[in-house]
Amino acid sequence: MDDLLADFIAETREMLEASGGELVAWEADPADRARLDTIFRFVHTVKGNCGFFDFPRLASLSHAAEDALADCRAGRREPDQQLVTAVLAIIDRIALMIDAIEAGDEFPEGGDESLIAAVDASHETVPSASLTESKEGSNPPLHAPADALLGTGEEQAAPYRRADAAAAQRTIRLPVELLDRVMSGVSDMVLARNDLAHRLRQAGNQPTIDGPFERLTTILSDVRDAITRMRMQRIETLFGALPRLVRDLSAELGKQVMVDLDGGDVELDREMIETIRDPLTHLIRNAVDHGIEQPSARLAHGKREIGLLAIAARQSGNTISIAISDDGRGLDEDRIAAKAIATGLITASERQTMSRDKILNLIFEPGFSTAETVSNVSGRGVGLDVVRQNLEKVGGSIKVTSVPGQGTLFSLQIPLTLSIIAGLTVDVGGHRFAIPQSYVEEIVQASARALDFTRMGETALVTFRGNRVPCLMLGEVLGLNTCEIAAREPTLVMLRLASGDLFALAVEGIHNHGDLVVKPLAPAVMRSGLYAGSTLLDDGQPVLLLDVANIASQHNLMSDTRVRAIGPLESEAVVTAELPRAMLFTDFAGRRSAVRLELVQRIETAPASAIDRSAARPRVVIDGLILPLIGLPEDALALPRMRLLRLSDGACELLYAVREVEDAVELKDTLHPVPEDALAEAMTLIGGQPVTLIDAHALFALHGEPPLAAARPRCVLPDGEWARTILAPLVASAGYDILPEGTADPAAIGIVFDDVFEVAEALGRALPARVIRLRDQPDAPPGCETIYRYDREGLLAALAEVNRAARAEGEAA
Amino acid sequence: MTGDLLVIAQIAGRRCALSALDVKSVIEIGTITPIPRAPVWIAGITALRSQALTVIDCRRALGFGGGSDGNDWPTDHRAAVVADGGHSYALMVDSIEDITTAADEAGQVPGGFGPEWSRVATGMVETMAGPALMLDLAALLAGPEAARHEIEAAV
Repeated sequence: MDDLLADFIAETREMLEASGGELVAWEADPADRARLDTIFRFVHTVKGNCGFFDFPRLASLSHAAEDALADCRAGRREPDQQLVTAVLAIIDRIALMIDAIEAGDEFPEGGDESLIAAVDASHETVPSASLTESKEGSNPPLHAPADALLGTGEEQAAPYRRADAAAAQRTIRLPVELLDRVMSGVSDMVLARNDLAHRLRQAGNQPTIDGPFERLTTILSDVRDAITRMRMQRIETLFGALPRLVRDLSAELGKQVMVDLDGGDVELDREMIETIRDPLTHLIRNAVDHGIEQPSARLAHGKREIGLLAIAARQSGNTISIAISDDGRGLDEDRIAAKAIATGLITASERQTMSRDKILNLIFEPGFSTAETVSNVSGRGVGLDVVRQNLEKVGGSIKVTSVPGQGTLFSLQIPLTLSIIAGLTVDVGGHRFAIPQSYVEEIVQASARALDFTRMGETALVTFRGNRVPCLMLGEVLGLNTCEIAAREPTLVMLRLASGDLFALAVEGIHNHGDLVVKPLAPAVMRSGLYAGSTLLDDGQPVLLLDVANIASQHNLMSDTRVRAIGPLESEAVVTAELPRAMLFTDFAGRRSAVRLELVQRIETAPASAIDRSAARPRVVIDGLILPLIGLPEDALALPRMRLLRLSDGACELLYAVREVEDAVELKDTLHPVPEDALAEAMTLIGGQPVTLIDAHALFALHGEPPLAAARPRCVLPDGEWARTILAPLVASAGYDILPEGTADPAAIGIVFDDVFEVAEALGRALPARVIRLRDQPDAPPGCETIYRYDREGLLAALAEVNRAARAEGEAA
Repeated sequence: MTGDLLVIAQIAGRRCALSALDVKSVIEIGTITPIPRAPVWIAGITALRSQALTVIDCRRALGFGGGSDGNDWPTDHRAAVVADGGHSYALMVDSIEDITTAADEAGQVPGGFGPEWSRVATGMVETMAGPALMLDLAALLAGPEAARHEIEAAV
């Protein structure tokens, strides 16, 4: 019985959510039979079910609504505003009663009669001319006492409900815990797989196992995707209630608003849906209350009487953007500014330098509310600052743009899910932490001097793109012992908070980035306010996820004063962004040079061991690519690793070794051509110092070459068991790829037995260009270039020799 | 209650009992990732398959340890995994002894158990393996700060 009751409650709820939107849609278009049918079915089902469960009050309410709707269906009655309102009131009451039933409370007595009367009354007392003819045919519904109705209701409804359930129910209800359990089971499987993969790699190539293992990997990632999707819900569930909300609001305020919903099929984590429900509701209230004007005002401005409120959801990668736009009066920049000055958010002089956008976004500041009179609809003590806060809590953000007289657009960005985020793992003091990628603006690696690292009292500042930015030492924040060397050359993670504040977090190294499955932490750990959760790396090591927003606010980096300090600089940067920019660096000759920023793909840090100087032109291996390297000093390198600028012209890449990367600068001064230096485009002044601007054209003409995959040299082995089992492992471990038998590759090195070689030569068969000949006897016949097949050293030396010759030839070509 | 299964463990040199219903499993504890700036009685987090467990140093959670006596007892390489409030914890104890049944109800002893123990103990329980102190998991996981707050509140 309890199960049945729970089913009844859940089903009724589901239908309630769906029918809210339907009702409003139906009111807008009374001829829409499909909507009317849906609502009718709802009240009918409720009536039937509650008779079954002995809820006489629910039964009488739903019966009244059903009667009225039945009249409409039969064409005896024209649905009008009053009827819709009355039916909605009944549906609301049903929702409340359902809540009470679930909680096991007694629903307060009384009030039902007036609701029932309202459905009737609206029908009888509306003296609308348009309704007269339809009224003539209609009789006032005969309301028997609720008790008397019970019996009939039950009998009619029961079979009806079964049919509905069978047709509509293509879903099953599952407890979320079960999903979570399956999800964590799959996560366990992924970890077990990673462990297995690690062991398989150690054991070497095993074709019989590798195939099935690959398949397992594919299946597992499919299952993981599916499980993740199971937690997803269409945003429709949220959108479903909105038409009703807007209808009620606009009726209350005497406005006319049309809702346009788009993107209801976008899916996101059900927890996230709950999180954005309130912010979204608040924004819609605001739009209807403050944004859309009274119909008369709209007509006076030459707009349509009916205001339009468009809500659209879009998914892009890992984020969902929701746009809420109205075609109302728009935000009043001056009023917002005046209010902000009055409340002390900004000063009058600051206001002069602020862009319209900046001013508009002040409405999200704490303690800001533009409505002079706190109306019933919006402004219930909850401001837009709370909306922003709530969104930021889940890693989202909100912006507003507005055109006066034409409308306002709020755009929300929210992550797809709370549990899987893109993150960056960083090292500090031997510990590893994760940072949500969404905060990371840029990663800067430079010496403390280049960053102009200064301490102002306890606060550290760095100069980043010409702005002074506060800098937190992660080691200090966490109270860890950090090593001195790393402090002199820190890696800075520039973090942009959702409020727009920028700050730098100094860490010792960047480890990795990827998708992190975030799990909550124990409350005692959360209390430290530094961590947002924990996650497991691929190797199963647990890592803590830093709570960036909280760390920033603990260090007072998120106050609104900061926003303003950085604000004007930012807009300045926008204005000057049109100047060409260049990367300023000092090369190994000690010359300060610059290269146009568009060319710089990345700043690489390569160990000295990755650099190959054997050929005339040095090469370096980065990400498995062999790239030309220029700018190296003549003498041997003293540095264990060096900074390389990775330059690209789109097709070719080359690396420029530099002693120190300083910063990205703007080329403000005039460029003086230097015809005597072929590699210099011009000389210019940066900060009063002469700097050589590198001529990219000349550089790529001289040194550019498309990247070569650093493929291992290939080798063809003789046929036979001996070669496969004894020779192949030796050759492979020496760093050669072994080609399958029978493949012809002119670049490969061939290892053949001498007798085979002689036969082939005699018959004129094709042989690889470079051949190593093996003989069976330890003692070599005189004048024969063969190697005894168990002469390990000799064989490896021959391989290296041939490989070197092949490379030299390749380069010469 | 009589007949209840209990996990018997040594904590700070005393025999303690946890309800076997609370203990999900006993694991070999692997690498513990420390949590900077967390309370001292939280040793860190460790991974149990895909789950991250908060490792509780039971001695410190009682309010013992710290200072010179911190290393007086060796800790077991095994830990009891418990769950409270939707979070999983691994309890680091001196040693895990046995699983046994309770022989009577938890009762008080004259003179009490001392301030640290009184906060977390529901009473003494007779077991097949001898008497043990029955621990209240939630109180243990609240940490020694909880006691201090209570005292402060009382003052």
